[in-house]
This record gives sequence, structure tokens and C-alpha cells, in this order.
Amino acid sequence: MAEKFDNLEEHLEKFVENIRQLGIIVSDFQPSSQTGLSQKLNFMITGLQDIEKCRQQLHDINVPLEVFEYIDQGRNPQLYTKECLESALAKNEQVKGKIDTLTKFKSLLISELGKIFPEEMTKYKAIHGDDPPS
Amino acid sequence: MTEIFSLYGQPDSQGPAGPSALGFGSGKPQVPQNMGPMCFPHQMVDEGGPIRKPAAMNEPFYLLRELPMENELTGHTNLITHYNLEHAYNKFCGKKVKEKLSNFLPELPGMIDSPGIQDNSSLRSVIEKPPVCNNSFSPLTGAMLTGFRLHTGPLPEQYRLMHIQPPKKKNKHKHKHHRPQDPLPPETPSDSDHKKKKKKKDDDPDRKKKKKDKKKKKNRHSPDHPGMTGAQPSSSSLR
Repeated sequence: MAEKFDNLEEHLEKFVENIRQLGIIVSDFQPSSQTGLSQKLNFMITGLQDIEKCRQQLHDINVPLEVFEYIDQGRNPQLYTKECLESALAKNEQVKGKIDTLTKFKSLLISELGKIFPEEMTKYKAIHGDDPPS
Repeated sequence: MTEIFSLYGQPDSQGPAGPSALGFGSGKPQVPQNMGPMCFPHQMVDEGGPIRKPAAMNEPFYLLRELPMENELTGHTNLITHYNLEHAYNKFCGKKVKEKLSNFLPELPGMIDSPGIQDNSSLRSVIEKPPVCNNSFSPLTGAMLTGFRLHTGPLPEQYRLMHIQPPKKKNKHKHKHHRPQDPLPPETPSDSDHKKKKKKKDDDPDRKKKKKDKKKKKNRHSPDHPGMTGAQPSSSSLR
């Protein structure tokens, strides 16, 4: 799994470095650097071909669109992962609290109903069975 | 409690209480009279749900439902532990994650911390309007490369800032040492000239000032310079 990412990362780094060198050549162009420029342009195309070959290995990888929002704003995409984990934990705690509260309410209700309607509650327990203590 | 008693065991010859008597909204027809003592108005009953046992088995309960199937995985369990994400949680939430994109990609050149909308380089624009291109990449032929013949000289000022990186405090010294050691191919000797010229370019504003100062000094001391008043005794003698 990590190998296909490493392969893509390597190709992307080479591509970016090639583009950077191309920018240096273009920033102060001289006639003698024409061959170098042509070479860099063809390296750019072969780089794109290599990146496209990596695509087949990564067809099952899905990236959430919200991550692109972070990148477009110049923010670290790891913040998205952090926020996902934090919100998942917060929601987990919230639901756990609800479950615990409802379980306590159920046991309280059964005990109070048992005091008020003892015969009906014994019939209820006979139908549903004895609930496990919460 | 009194309401429950009234619904529970008392025979009602007049029929069941309508929705308005129970305090709920009106507008729905009343339940037929043969339903029995414990019957709720129509809007109180949830439609759907598990199959109900016949009424005779559940007396005196008429609307008793089966309990829902217990799910093994609920919010009661710690899902981060369940899915073995403790390491990821400690990595992202335990330590401080830096805000900027350049902290995630320190080796990437250019100004990447600025929003993509400013220079029309956003990923959203690529997704919404993907560029129209052919299916394959083919190398450029000689005829195509003639379109890439550039004018000599430096770029216009409006395009110069594109490859400049923001200053990095920690890597300043490394940055200075790293750049000259870039693995440029030896087939382009002009690149070394570019580096030299780049260094020259960085000194340009200082050089210009020095040149101007030198010119001024030369002009002050040269006899051929016109318009010098009182600076030289020869000019004053002619007047």
C-alpha cells in the first residue's frame, strides 16, 4: 500500500523539480539555453506520462472533497484529519451519554412501574423476559 | 398518573377519548369503539416497526412491540479503540498540527500558502472545469518546439515573483547552501551563467545605487561637466 504512494511521490517530486529548473532557465533566458529548455519540456511530458501510469495503482483511493478546500485555502490537510477524529470522538461521547441516560431511565421506570402496577409489570416481564440490570 | 388510570382499566361505554381530550391536536377521525380500553388516537401510533404479537397473548397490553435487535457496535463503545485508530488520534490530536500548507510540503517551491483563488490555481477549479486534453501525452517534435523560442533577457517584473519562496527562518542557511547544489545537467553550461547572473541580479539594486554614486562623483570631478556653479574655480573665472 505504501509502495504505490512512494512511487507516486517520487515521480511528483521529480516533476516539480523539473518545473522549478525550467522556471530558472526561463527567468533569464539566453540563446544557448534553448536546448536545455527543449529537454526540460520533454522531461515534463515524460513526467506526466509516469504520473499517469501511477493512476492505475491508485484507482481505489478516494479523497474527500473537503480536503481540497483546505489545500485551496493554503491550510495543512492534516488539520482535516484532526478535525474528523475530534468530531467523531465528540459524537461518540454524545451518543454514549444518551445511551447511558436512557438505560438509567429505563431501569428507573421499570422499578417505579413495578411499585405502582406490580401485577402488570410481572406480566410484562413474563412477555419480555427479565431485562438485564443496567 | 390519573390519565394512565383512566386509560388503563375503566370500561368506557361512551367510547374512547378523542384526541382533543388527551391534549393532542385535532383533525383526525376518532378511533372505532370496538378497540378496547387501552387505545391511543391514530396519530400517537408509530407506523411500521417489528411484527406485533396477537392481542390475546399480550393482554392487557395491546400495543406491545418486540424489542429491537441488539446491535453489537453502538455509540456505547469507543469507536477509535474499536477501529485501532489510537495511534492516528495521538499523532494528529496529541501534537500540535501546523496550520500552513508549507509545513506539510516544505520542499515544494513557490508561494503555496496563499489561497488558490488569488492566482487561479485552485483544485476546485480543476474539478469543476477539467481542462480539455487528449487521452495520451506525446513528446514535442522539432516543429512544435519552435513555438518555445524565447526572447533573451530577464522576465518582466510582473512575472518574476512566481518562483520566489517565502523566507524560512530555520532553513535560511540550508536554503542558501542547498540551491547552488541543485543537480542541474552538465549539458547546459549556460545554467552556471544563469546562477552567476542570478547572484548579480540580487545585487542589482545595490549595484545601481553604487553606480549612481560613482557617476555623481565622476561628474563632480570632471572638467567637461556642464552647469557646475561655484564648485570649480575655473568656471567662476570664465564668468
